[in-house]
Amino acid sequence: MLEIKNLHVAVDGKEILRGLSLRVDAGEVHAIMGPNGSGKSTLSYALAGRAGYEVTEGSIMYRGEDLGALAPEERAAKGVFLAMQYPVEIPGVTTMMFLKSAINAQRRARGEDELDAVAVLKTVRKKAAALNVSEEMLKRALNVGFSGGEKKRLEILQMALFEPKLAILDETDSGLDIDALRLVAEGVNALRAPERAMLLITHYQRLLDYIVPDRIHVLAKGRIIAEGGKELALELEAKGYEQIIKDAA
Amino acid sequence: MTAVLPTRRIEEWKYSDLARALGDTGFGEDSARALVGPIAQGIDVFSLDEPNRPEWVKAQYGKLPANSVSAVSLAKARGGVALRVHKNKHVEAPLALDFAGRGHVRALLVLDEGASLTLVERCDPSETRNAGFEIVLGRNARLDHVRIAPNSSAVQVEEISMTLAHDAQYRAHFANFGAKLSRLELAIALQGEGAGVDLSGVSVLSDSSHADVTTQVTHAVGQTQSLQLFKKVVGGGAQAVYQGKVTVMPNADGSDSRQTAKALLLGPRAEADLKPELEILADDVKCAHGAAVGDLDADSLFYLRARGIPEKNARHLLLHAFLEDAVQGIANVDLREMVRGAVARALDEVTA
Amino acid sequence: MSSAVLETKQQVAELGEKYKYGFVTDIEMERAPKGLSEDTVRYISAKKGEPQWMLEWRLGAFRRWVSMREPTWAKVHYPPIDYQNAYYYAAPKNTPKKQSLDEVDPKLLETYKKLGIPLSEQMALAGVAVDAVFDSVSVATTFKEKLNQAGVIFCPISEAIRDYPDLVKKYLGTVVPVTDNFFATLNSAVFSDGTFVYVPKGVRCPMELSTYFRINASETGQFERTLIVADEGSYVSYLEGCTAPKRDENQLHAAVVELVALDHAEIKYSTVQNWYPGDEEGKGGIYNFVTKRGDCRGVHSKISWTQVETGSAITWKYPSCILRGDHSVGEFYSIAIANNFQQADTGTKMTHLGRNTRSRIISKGISAGKAQNTYRGLVSVYGKADNARNFTQCDSLLIGSNCGAHTVPYIESRNPTARVEHEATTSKIAEDQLFYCLQRGLNQEEAVALIVNGFCKEVLQQLPMEFAVEAQKLVGISLEGSVG
Repeated sequence: MLEIKNLHVAVDGKEILRGLSLRVDAGEVHAIMGPNGSGKSTLSYALAGRAGYEVTEGSIMYRGEDLGALAPEERAAKGVFLAMQYPVEIPGVTTMMFLKSAINAQRRARGEDELDAVAVLKTVRKKAAALNVSEEMLKRALNVGFSGGEKKRLEILQMALFEPKLAILDETDSGLDIDALRLVAEGVNALRAPERAMLLITHYQRLLDYIVPDRIHVLAKGRIIAEGGKELALELEAKGYEQIIKDAA
Repeated sequence: MTAVLPTRRIEEWKYSDLARALGDTGFGEDSARALVGPIAQGIDVFSLDEPNRPEWVKAQYGKLPANSVSAVSLAKARGGVALRVHKNKHVEAPLALDFAGRGHVRALLVLDEGASLTLVERCDPSETRNAGFEIVLGRNARLDHVRIAPNSSAVQVEEISMTLAHDAQYRAHFANFGAKLSRLELAIALQGEGAGVDLSGVSVLSDSSHADVTTQVTHAVGQTQSLQLFKKVVGGGAQAVYQGKVTVMPNADGSDSRQTAKALLLGPRAEADLKPELEILADDVKCAHGAAVGDLDADSLFYLRARGIPEKNARHLLLHAFLEDAVQGIANVDLREMVRGAVARALDEVTA
Repeated sequence: MSSAVLETKQQVAELGEKYKYGFVTDIEMERAPKGLSEDTVRYISAKKGEPQWMLEWRLGAFRRWVSMREPTWAKVHYPPIDYQNAYYYAAPKNTPKKQSLDEVDPKLLETYKKLGIPLSEQMALAGVAVDAVFDSVSVATTFKEKLNQAGVIFCPISEAIRDYPDLVKKYLGTVVPVTDNFFATLNSAVFSDGTFVYVPKGVRCPMELSTYFRINASETGQFERTLIVADEGSYVSYLEGCTAPKRDENQLHAAVVELVALDHAEIKYSTVQNWYPGDEEGKGGIYNFVTKRGDCRGVHSKISWTQVETGSAITWKYPSCILRGDHSVGEFYSIAIANNFQQADTGTKMTHLGRNTRSRIISKGISAGKAQNTYRGLVSVYGKADNARNFTQCDSLLIGSNCGAHTVPYIESRNPTARVEHEATTSKIAEDQLFYCLQRGLNQEEAVALIVNGFCKEVLQQLPMEFAVEAQKLVGISLEGSVG
């Protein structure tokens, strides 16, 4: 599904990712853990195609296709979904209006029929209920006045609606209390599927208690320096990043 | 009498060279027209080109301070309309007032104590015109005003000079789609305690359109309020200007004034000039203003695109969102939709 | 309104504080004959032993000036200035260059002591080189050796004209052209002294440079001309401070300051000004018309202006930055305090020409008494200034109901990728703020000083340490009435 080879990414002329390689197959859930400044967000933005994140070397192959050449909306239409760490507030655009626009834009790009307002509402309502996203939230301007937990739940709702093939969750657990975390994790777990791959980017091991990964990669200074199964998370918890990084050197 | 029309050299007209835009012909000697309707019960109407002005017209007409350009309309206009809404009369249906034709024209609107009215003003874009409009709001009167100025290739100038008594309220929205040179000037005096104004406006400009909104709000007494929110989207080689002066007189303690002007430039030839001015001569006041010019928020743009919305649509969505808070305050639902529609069409054009 | 606030207002209104520096030194002055004509210009040039090219430059400016008209658009009101009724050159009689402080006229040294800048103390403690300009002539220049070692040139401009003519010719008048404005043209004709600084490539000036000067002789206009050039990769911090004696006639001050920063260079220019503000009736203060401009000529160059003004009778100055080089940065931090009958019309201009330029403006205005404080700013983004960024914060604090604050920002943008943001607020010292301080044990004056300092904090933080302390005291003193 996703094959990253020797990826170098620069932001504002400064190199952040320095030869990152990674492979994720369909049906798998991988976790990327790392200390602050290791390049986690840079990786997620580079995968989503954000301007300002320049791939200077290496490649990102998604289902056999080079992602590098595609614009963000093209990647989205092809099934790449990035749940952001800080979902943006857009006053003046209601959540419902946004969801309808996005769903139909993606369908259009894939040559599928667009859904009318009623159909969209039906689908949204059904999936919103499971994530505790209220009607009221859907009527509000996108993310405006939403609490941290509400914003994250809305991100997961979108993931459920767009049905991506590759989902990247960037620090989805940041700012959440236990209850909110549990709800979000349930939502994510419900979306695990044999045709879907997930990349969880996180700083803390806590999230991985709820969403158990198949493989864990440790990212430090722009590179993957250690890999392992889910036990690696406990090792990290016990030793701390500094030690693991030293061990790997 | 030859009036000297302002040029760039006059500070208040620095961004709008009226003399140059008009050329040698100036506004000409014609009289433009003011058309009104429907006249409901409780509204007096008088055509200014008729003789024998009634007392209420004589008492108010030409009494408010005028800038140099509306002094000209006062002198030269041979036509126009005067309207009065009776005491405590609440007029349900919006009253339309359209300035049309070429030349100078005047209007006078008086709301007696406790009266309320919704006014819809549509400017005929086909001709060059100089309109002078005086509005007198009595105690506790309430005026809702929506003005739509469609895109024009002529020169269109309007000065609205206004005074508010105790507890009078003026809420207005100005949708401006540019002209060869367009200037809307508001001179508002809050003269009674409890008076308040809420001004909002949007300008969506393309090609080489120009739109200048200049406001002057004076808090002559305390416990008065003024709120201003102006948003502009400027594309092509157009120019948007906002000059908002708020003066709080000495002893106008307890005044509250807020002013926000924001512009988005869509291309390398677009220009925005903003000058929010504050003159505070009393100390117990709350005054703030903010102005910003920039481009669409990159984070928001990325978010929408990352969810599949193509760039062009995403920009359009954000432009729409940018203007929305200046439009949503329009009280009358039909008028609000009318403005929304005009804005959407103009946005389509400027992003085409 | 509570009595606490009323009392505070009263104290502040009693601000006719004994002007600390109101005194005169009785030293013989050598003066040019009264009035301004070509002969005056020649007299000045001859007195300074200037080369021919400099005299011609001055004469060109004078001829230009004669045909110009004084600007009248600022919101300040003053009686017409009679340019012929003043002396344009005054120097203490026993002048020429002193090599060590021992040779300086003891009366002058005494003056410095009164001003609170005992040279010896400065030398010993702060390590600041002081080029003290006594009226129109520099009297002592200290710390020359240390600067010589670093290759930094720091001397009176009259000396630079003689010893470094190529440098002066290369840069003088390139930031503020002779024809720029009425007062700059006048200055170009009759400037009598000022500072010249040149910092060579890659040099970080080893100490803060400072010039203290004052206007002493009655009826002497002071025409300072300062030129600071920071060559590639260099850094210099310059402090300008000024005081003036109590006089009945108004005194004119029209200075020009030009700053040039080349690639990767930085100039920090700080001013703490304490001009005689005129007595309570507004008589006898200084008319202060200054043109200050910085040219960020090189890429990644930076110029920042920091000023604390406690008002002349009339102030008219707009330190500005031309952000020419790509990635250049311009900053302006200002506290302007206007009291009694002072009128201040100040502000800044930031002109964005190059790409990725940034400017930041923080202006704090405090008005009390019957003063009028106007901020006038222009942020101008030109067509090619891609990604320009500006942030402006302009706040006014009003003390009492007879003073005024006026904010006039001009924002002109012609580039779609530029972002300009401006915010302004107006406030007064809130009763509950005062009460809180009083309840915690501060007295009225301390409370006002605390609140005002808090209001000004962002700007005070920009000042070099020694200045920051003095500035803080100055802010406090200006608003504490006769206490302190």
